[in-house]
This record gives sequence, structure tokens and C-alpha cells, in this order.
Amino acid sequence: MEFFFAQVSGFWDALVHLASDPITYPYLIASVFLGIIFGALPGLTATLAVTILTGFFGNKFPLEQSLIALIGAYVGAIYGGSYPSILLNIPGTAASAATAMDGHPLAKKGRGGEALGMTTTSSFIGTLIGTSFLLVFVWLLLMISKNIASPEKALLALFGILLSGTLMSKDLVLKGWISGLIGLAMAMVGLDPILSETRYTFGWSYLMSGFQVVPVLMGAFAVPQIMDGMRAAGSVGQAVDVGKIVPRVGTVMKRFPTIARSGVIGTGVGALPGVGEDVAGWVSYGVGKAVCKDGDQFGKGSINGLLSAEAANNAAIGGALIPLLVLGIPGSPPAAALLGALKINNVIPGPTIDPQLILHVVAILVMAAATMAIMGLLTARVFINVLRIPQTIFLPVVMVLTTIGSFSVGGGINDLYLMLCVGFVAYAMGKMHYPIAPLVIGVILGPLFDETFRRSLYLSDGDLSTFWTRPGAAILLALNVALVLSQMPVVKRTFRRLKPGGI
Amino acid sequence: MEDKTALRARDFWTSLILIALSVFFLWRTTHIPFFDTQTAGVASGDWFNSAAVVPYGIFGLMLLCSLGLLAISIKDGGAERALHGAGVGWERNEIVRMGSIAIILFFYIFALVPRVDFVICSALLISALVYGFHDGHRDRMKIAAAVVAAAGLYALVMNFPQSQWAKPHDDDWVTLALWAGLTIYTLLRHRSEYAIRIAPWMAVLVPLVLVLAMAFGFRQNVPNRAGLLFSQIEYHYYVTLKPMWSK
Repeated sequence: MEFFFAQVSGFWDALVHLASDPITYPYLIASVFLGIIFGALPGLTATLAVTILTGFFGNKFPLEQSLIALIGAYVGAIYGGSYPSILLNIPGTAASAATAMDGHPLAKKGRGGEALGMTTTSSFIGTLIGTSFLLVFVWLLLMISKNIASPEKALLALFGILLSGTLMSKDLVLKGWISGLIGLAMAMVGLDPILSETRYTFGWSYLMSGFQVVPVLMGAFAVPQIMDGMRAAGSVGQAVDVGKIVPRVGTVMKRFPTIARSGVIGTGVGALPGVGEDVAGWVSYGVGKAVCKDGDQFGKGSINGLLSAEAANNAAIGGALIPLLVLGIPGSPPAAALLGALKINNVIPGPTIDPQLILHVVAILVMAAATMAIMGLLTARVFINVLRIPQTIFLPVVMVLTTIGSFSVGGGINDLYLMLCVGFVAYAMGKMHYPIAPLVIGVILGPLFDETFRRSLYLSDGDLSTFWTRPGAAILLALNVALVLSQMPVVKRTFRRLKPGGI
Repeated sequence: MEDKTALRARDFWTSLILIALSVFFLWRTTHIPFFDTQTAGVASGDWFNSAAVVPYGIFGLMLLCSLGLLAISIKDGGAERALHGAGVGWERNEIVRMGSIAIILFFYIFALVPRVDFVICSALLISALVYGFHDGHRDRMKIAAAVVAAAGLYALVMNFPQSQWAKPHDDDWVTLALWAGLTIYTLLRHRSEYAIRIAPWMAVLVPLVLVLAMAFGFRQNVPNRAGLLFSQIEYHYYVTLKPMWSK
């Protein structure tokens, strides 16, 4: 209990410090606004918003200020995706795909304002739930992580890539794994982290330092969106009149159990390495459909269905930051972009991270959620009008933004070449239904996996049993093996047969 | 709903490419010392010290996954479709659209940004993309791609070596002329379209504001500081404007 009060007290100090600093507000308002715009415009994503801002802020600004902008944009973009989902049945981001299931039917019934108001409120509460878990669990996990050695880290990184590949695949699971392996392979380029042996540089000095995270992120997420979105059919069209947006307190209280449950689910899913807000939304939606009294109304315009998806995807933000801050393993693609920003500012997440930085992140999340709620409830009509901008007008602007952002991070022109090459490959992969998130997670976790895997072997004198004789490593190895086996057709068939009524 | 067999036909070709790449990189991995590694200058014969351990695992697994994908594509009829010339399910319109964007982005990044003033080349990019793709006409896509390719080719051919990138050249003027030509042409031919009317404003203001914000606000590096416009902006910022408030 003492620990809990110490946490709350530390958080309160950080919040007061942040709130009393006047510089916080321009950063916060501008970034949340930009984030909501990015989320609301179909084709632009939360990852892209965070990545572009990473390019702009680089390492020339104090990290505390950069984090306000990046986290503000992250929170805003995840929420902003709900606008086109509800009003136009076009998910603004993958995270809000489940929102469209009930949001749009509600808008068609003339309850668009109510849907937007409830979405804003549930996103706010969801973010706070995720943040609360972040505040408490990050410290517990940090204490545990001090006992996590190289074998556990290697297996956890591998689990993140495998899990991301498994859950993000829309076609064959094999494609998700191949995508993760391509990312891992890209991470092998350059000097190896232990012996400084050159690998796959082909005599090009730029490759000695390996692939930089920001150009890879920009290439993987911006270029395919631009190539895919530049079409006449990409015009979104007319916005709709929605009526009253601010919800009644009584209505929110009545729906609070749904919001709370979805927030907890969203945080849990978000905390899984490499799994994003979209999976959180769908899992929570599925659970909501099973447990809510009006589950049969899901998909036909149920407020509970809408809240299940929206509270979860925003709660996943706090969840995604838990593995990021504790182990340096991002919980979602936007968190991966955030990791890129931390890295270029020489902050190494993990057991040695500055505790004040964590409290600062938590305080920013709370303030960003409040800013998002105020903007969402009071200025929703501005964002609704944004929906009328066709993709063919804003995507060329995004290309220029991406180019200058990627150039400025450090590598200059070579980073732009890398960005475009990754973009073309990512576009081709997307066309063939390969998920891109595992590739990015692979690039980010590749160096960690390489270093910790080899260090484990080095310390055990090449004895592979180090991966199953340590209890933590044995559990993680079992999870990895179980995940792979669970996707094997033979195992799937056996499970189907064993299910009651499956014979 | 996308044709599953067409997707499997694409998977068939992709799996072959992935197999070739895996084999190539497995061979390249043999260039990394495996049994004769050097640890802090001391020769070591232990395989587990080698920088090749993880790459062997990655490319080995990729080879296995690619073989699995090949097997699935053959089983689901993808190979049959791919080998009988039925195509992989891409339409001609989509190929033209995709090809035009790829050409525009290629010349913008590889030829124009390193050599031409960022504001001018980005203005050309924005104008070309808005004109070429706003209404989905194939001819407009081809014209847009041709204009950017012409500017890019000129810059690439005339000032290819990296030593020439930072020097002022006439490629800035050529790109500016092509942008002005494209803008006038589009305004004369398609003035009724809202996107065409706002494109010139966007084309000038967006890169200009971005470059100013990056260079003087965020204090970040920007491409081609010796470019036609940026060199003047930077000169007047430090020589004309800054002394006014520095004093």
C-alpha cells in the first residue's frame, strides 16, 4: 500500500509540474489537434503522426517537450480514427475498424452526435485506465525485469515478433512470420553489436551503422499509404450533420461497466509485445458481444459495441507503453515510433530508465487524454469538416512532410533512399497481404534479439540448454513453441476434433 | 472479394523470389567468420561467438517459410494459374496508376531532392500528384509522371556526381520552368476543378512553410541548402533579418 501511495504522490508531482509549465499547452494542443486530424483522415495513421513528429523534433529539443508532442499526437490519432468510422463507415486508422461496426449504423439512425460524444468519453476513460495500469504495473515489472537476463530478453523479443506476425496476418500466418523475418534480416545489416563484424554492407559505408528506425518507419507506413491512396475513389466526400455531441453524465455512468471492462482488456492486449490498438479493439468487441445483454444487437448500432471497441483501443496506448518502458519492446507500431524517438535522444528503456521520465510520460498521457476529450466534445465539427478533404489533396503534402522529416533525422539523403526502397517493398508486400507491423517490430527488436541471444550462448559456453533451464526462459520458450505449434494445420485439426461436438 | 487463386499465383512468384533471396543471403553469410572468429583480437574457434549465428537462423527459417508458402501456393492452384499466363490479378489501370506514382516518387527522391531546391522540387511533386491522380484519368497520370521524370532526368544526367549536389546549377531553373508550365497548362485546361485551382497555392506554401519551420524553427537540417530559393532565404535571414533583432 505504501508503494501505491508513493507512486500516486510521484505522479501527482509530475502532473503539477507539467500543468504549471506554460510551454506544455502549445505543444499539447497542437499535437493532439494534429493527431486527431491524422487519425480522422483515412490513409494517415497514428504511427505516421508519431513518426513524422519524431523527424521534426529529432534530438534538437528537450526530450520532455518532444514527448509531449509525440504522446499527444499518439493519443489524438487513435481517437481521431473514430470520426470517419462513425460518420462514413471508413476506419480512419486500423485501430478504429471495430468502431465502424456499430458507430456507422448509429450515425445512419441519426444518432451520430451521440455516438461521437460517447466515443470521446469512452476514449478518455479508456486512456486513463491504460495510464493507471502503466503507473502501477510498470514499476512492478521494472522490479521483475532486473532479474531478467539475456536468455529471457532474447525469447521475449522473439515472442513479440512471432505474436505480431501471427495476429496481424489477414491471409496466411506464414506471411506474418516471413514479414517478421524480413525485419529481423534488415536488423542484421551493419556492424554486429558484440564483435563489430561487418554484415551485408556490400562496401557501402552508410550501411555500417545499420538501418535507421525512422526512415524505415516512414517508408513502411507513409509510402504505401501514398501509393495506395492516390486514386480518384479516395475522395471521402461530404460530411454529415450530427446534432448534439456532449453526452449526459447519467448515460455515461450507465455504460461505465462496459467502458471499464473494455479498458482493462485494451490495456492487457496493448501490453502484448508488437500487438497494436486494432487487435485490442477487436478482442474487446468480441468479448463485449459475448458478455453484454444486448450482444445480439452488436453490429446493428449498439452503444455497448461502440464503447467496447473505442475504450479498448485508447486503453491499449497505456498498455503498449508498459513493455516499451520496462524492456524496450514496443507494444504497438506507434510505440515503436516512440522508441525510435527515445533512441535518437539516447534514452535506453529498461531497468536503468530514469524513474522521473516514466512519471513524466504518465502525466503527459493524462493531460493528453483531457485535451483530447475537451477538443473532441467542443470542437468536433472542425474535425468533421476535415473529412471532406480528398486524399489526393492531402497525401502529396504528407509525402513532402515525410521526406523532410526523414531527411532531418540524421542520415541525410541516404535515409531518403532507404525510406523509398522500404516503401516500395512494403507496398508490394501489402498488395500480397503481408502485414507490415511485424517487419517494423523485427527491425526494432532485431538488434536486441541478436545481442541477447548471442550473449546467452557466450555466457553458457554454447550450451543451448540455457534457454530452458532458467524458469523464466523456459516459460517464454514454451510460449514461443506453443504459438508456432498452435498455427500448424495438424494441431489445429486435432484441437477441432477434441472440441465438444467437433467429432 | 479478391480472387484467392490470383493471390496464390502472386504467392507462387513471391515464394520463388524469397527462396532465391534466402539462398543468396545464406551464401553471403558464409563470408562472415563462423569457426574462426576474432574476439577482441584473439582468435576463437567457437561457433557461438560468431556474428553469423543469428543470420544463419534467420535466413534458414526464411527459406523454410518460403518453401512452405510455395507448397501452399501450388496446392491451392496458384502455380497453375501463374504458369498458364492467366496473370496475377492486376488490372492495366492499376498498373499504370502504380507505375506513374512509382516513377514520380523515384525521380523526386533519387534525382530531385538531392540536387534541386527543396521548395521547387516539392512544388513540382505536389502539382504533379494533384493533377495526375485527382480524377483518375490515365492520360493525366502519364503526363504527371513524364513531367517529373523530365525534371529528374535532367538533374540526374547533368549533375550526377555527389560532388555537384551542393552547388547551384541550372537544374533548379529547369524544374521551376517545368512546374510553371505544368501549373499554367492545368489551370488553362482544368480550371473548373477545385483541386487544380488550389494546387499552385499548396505547391508553393506547403514546402516553403515546412522548410522555414525546419531550418529556422526546429533547427533541423534541410535538403539542398544551396538551392535557388533556400540559399536566398538563408542569406537574407542571417544578413538582413537576424541583425535587426540581434542588436
